[in-house]
Amino acid sequence: MRKLSRMTAATIVLVLLLSLIGCSSSADKKTHLTFQIWDVYQRPGMQAMCDAYTAKHPDVVIDVQATSWSEYWTKLEASAESNTMPDIFWMHTNQLLYYADFGMLADVTDLYDDVDPNYYEEHFTEISRSNASGSDGRLYGVPKDKDNGLLVYNKEMFDAADVSYPTDDWTWEDLADASQKIHDKTGKYGFMAYNDDQLGYWCFAYQAGGHILTADRTKAGYTNPGTVKGMEFYVNMQKEDWCPGQTYFAETAPGTAFFSEEGAMYLEGNWNLPQLMENYPEMRGKWDLAKLPKCADPIEDDESLDQDGRATISNGLCYSTAAHGKKRDIALDVIKYFGTEEAQRIQGENGAAIPAYIGCEESWRAAFDPYDEKLNLDIIFEQFDYAVQAIYNSASPKWKSLVLDELTNVYAGKQDLMTGLENMERIVNTETAKKLADQ
Amino acid sequence: MNKKLSAAAKREERWGWFMIAPTIIGLVVLNLWPFVQTLYSSFCEHLGFGHYKFIGLQNYKDMFGNTEFWKATWNTVYFCILTVPVGIALALLVALLLNAHVKFKGGFRTIFFLPLVCAPAAIAMVWRWIFNTEYGILNQILGGKIQWITDPKTAVLAVAIVSVWSSIGYDAVLLLAGLQNIPGTLYEASGLDGAGKVRQFFSITLPMVSPTLFSVLIMRLMASMKIYDLIYMMADETNPALTDMQSLMYLFYRSSFVAGDRGYGSAIVIWTVGLILLVTLVQFQGQKKWVTYDV
Repeated sequence: MRKLSRMTAATIVLVLLLSLIGCSSSADKKTHLTFQIWDVYQRPGMQAMCDAYTAKHPDVVIDVQATSWSEYWTKLEASAESNTMPDIFWMHTNQLLYYADFGMLADVTDLYDDVDPNYYEEHFTEISRSNASGSDGRLYGVPKDKDNGLLVYNKEMFDAADVSYPTDDWTWEDLADASQKIHDKTGKYGFMAYNDDQLGYWCFAYQAGGHILTADRTKAGYTNPGTVKGMEFYVNMQKEDWCPGQTYFAETAPGTAFFSEEGAMYLEGNWNLPQLMENYPEMRGKWDLAKLPKCADPIEDDESLDQDGRATISNGLCYSTAAHGKKRDIALDVIKYFGTEEAQRIQGENGAAIPAYIGCEESWRAAFDPYDEKLNLDIIFEQFDYAVQAIYNSASPKWKSLVLDELTNVYAGKQDLMTGLENMERIVNTETAKKLADQ
Repeated sequence: MNKKLSAAAKREERWGWFMIAPTIIGLVVLNLWPFVQTLYSSFCEHLGFGHYKFIGLQNYKDMFGNTEFWKATWNTVYFCILTVPVGIALALLVALLLNAHVKFKGGFRTIFFLPLVCAPAAIAMVWRWIFNTEYGILNQILGGKIQWITDPKTAVLAVAIVSVWSSIGYDAVLLLAGLQNIPGTLYEASGLDGAGKVRQFFSITLPMVSPTLFSVLIMRLMASMKIYDLIYMMADETNPALTDMQSLMYLFYRSSFVAGDRGYGSAIVIWTVGLILLVTLVQFQGQKKWVTYDV
């Protein structure tokens, strides 16, 4: 009996050991790379790029893995601590400096030196390059895409209220007037101004001549007169009867409200447009795009961009790999390919995002080929002329949620806007100074 | 004591250790060691990517001086007050009904157990729509415009309702097992002595099921003190009532993983562990007064 149980135990142990070995070895001799992304809608585009690479390098297999935005960063940080990061991954401006300054990302500044020493300067805009740079000015990712925020409007509601569609010259006042008229005539909401930075108050602050961070990113500008003007206009829109309050948005996202035909306008990021076309077939043809309205009388100062009251925020991602990854050299070769005109064009044509590569931008129009109803995509490309780089500094991960809390308290009526802005200014300045002192 | 053991008994002891080793190792590696690490990091500032700097009691000083933290502590206690008594009373009621002679007993048991089989994310999503101010079914029925999830006054209540709803099934099954262990002869004998249903419940059912009730109480209270997932899934980041509903564990999540302040987050965890320990100790002391282990 005892012999039998010992045999059983030994067998179990053996089976467990074998299964462990089974996990770590792969049957073929190929190099397997993992490519981690957070947007499932971009998966086909990323897969197409990988397929193009592996067609040229049959000894490499790339596994594209998509996860949710919030899980992505929890996982990536944990994997960075144990040096088990995915071989290739997307980097976002919110986090890039945190990772790059800590030495977690491979320096790709010299990646294209054999092709052209000025490769980045020639093929990517300054904003794209800056979005991929660490605090030391070196590049820690190959620019992937660029985006901006635009105004989405419901044509039927404008028609019903007998209001003409938004034009390139629309001002804040036109936005408010149209909203009021639509609300009065149809009972629906007008412009839906919700608590968001990139697709919300950042745009209005810069349009009004203000700034969130100074150009050198060391100081906050929440109490700058221009910023205050923009914030006052943006936040106070929720006090109008044509704009829902923040309690409404906490339950019903503005996009959901728009596509349920409850509201006439909201700010949307261009990257969401293909999936909106796909997900709301019954709404196709009923809505269109317009440039963000401009501020008629911005308050200019030294930090102002002097863009005639116009601004939209443009962010961009990049492809990165770990500084000490086990398959670093092959991963670098893959992201080097991802930065070529060919790969960027594949990305665009598959509707993933607007390629960062200058000259390839318009390939992204292909994302809308399946639909007969056309959107005014021209305005997206035209808006890049006065796009403002996404706002972040190395202390962003620390202050972002704290600033959001302050603004939430303003919306909830727990503090007035000016107190909120003073608190935000203090929070950003304190966290930034702390971070700079640590470096 | 080993001296007295025979060779066979020694061998058996070795095998005993060998057999429990996986559990013990698991416990030490997965529970005990992380706890020690958490305790240590609560005295540190997280510099990033697992690098810590020792700062003494600073995290605790910051924590005790923060109104948001005290608010979260109260929210957690309030949540327990809302969920534990009501949840257990309802679970006991359901268990009693399921133990009675009713038709389709199996069907009812399945229905009450169903919430446990559903994914918590799906439950939260459905309840968010039920609670929706404008289009939710609950407000349609009540005919009001109650902002269940976004009004600071009702936000905790809304989460508590979902919590009770999803935990009744599990608690009821445990209590049902306890009820079925009560010998039928007790009821027969007391019936002959003239005891009515109410008297039988208080004199036989309740004392006999009290050990199970005690375990359920301990588990439910611990689960309620650690409430996190429902709040995470039901409240949006921009919800104006977020600070009025966030629990200690939610505050920990936001500090540790959103703001990246793991030292401060660890301090919150240690505080929560202390609270749970205290409450559990009180319960173990209190059980002597009402839990019957033998008849």
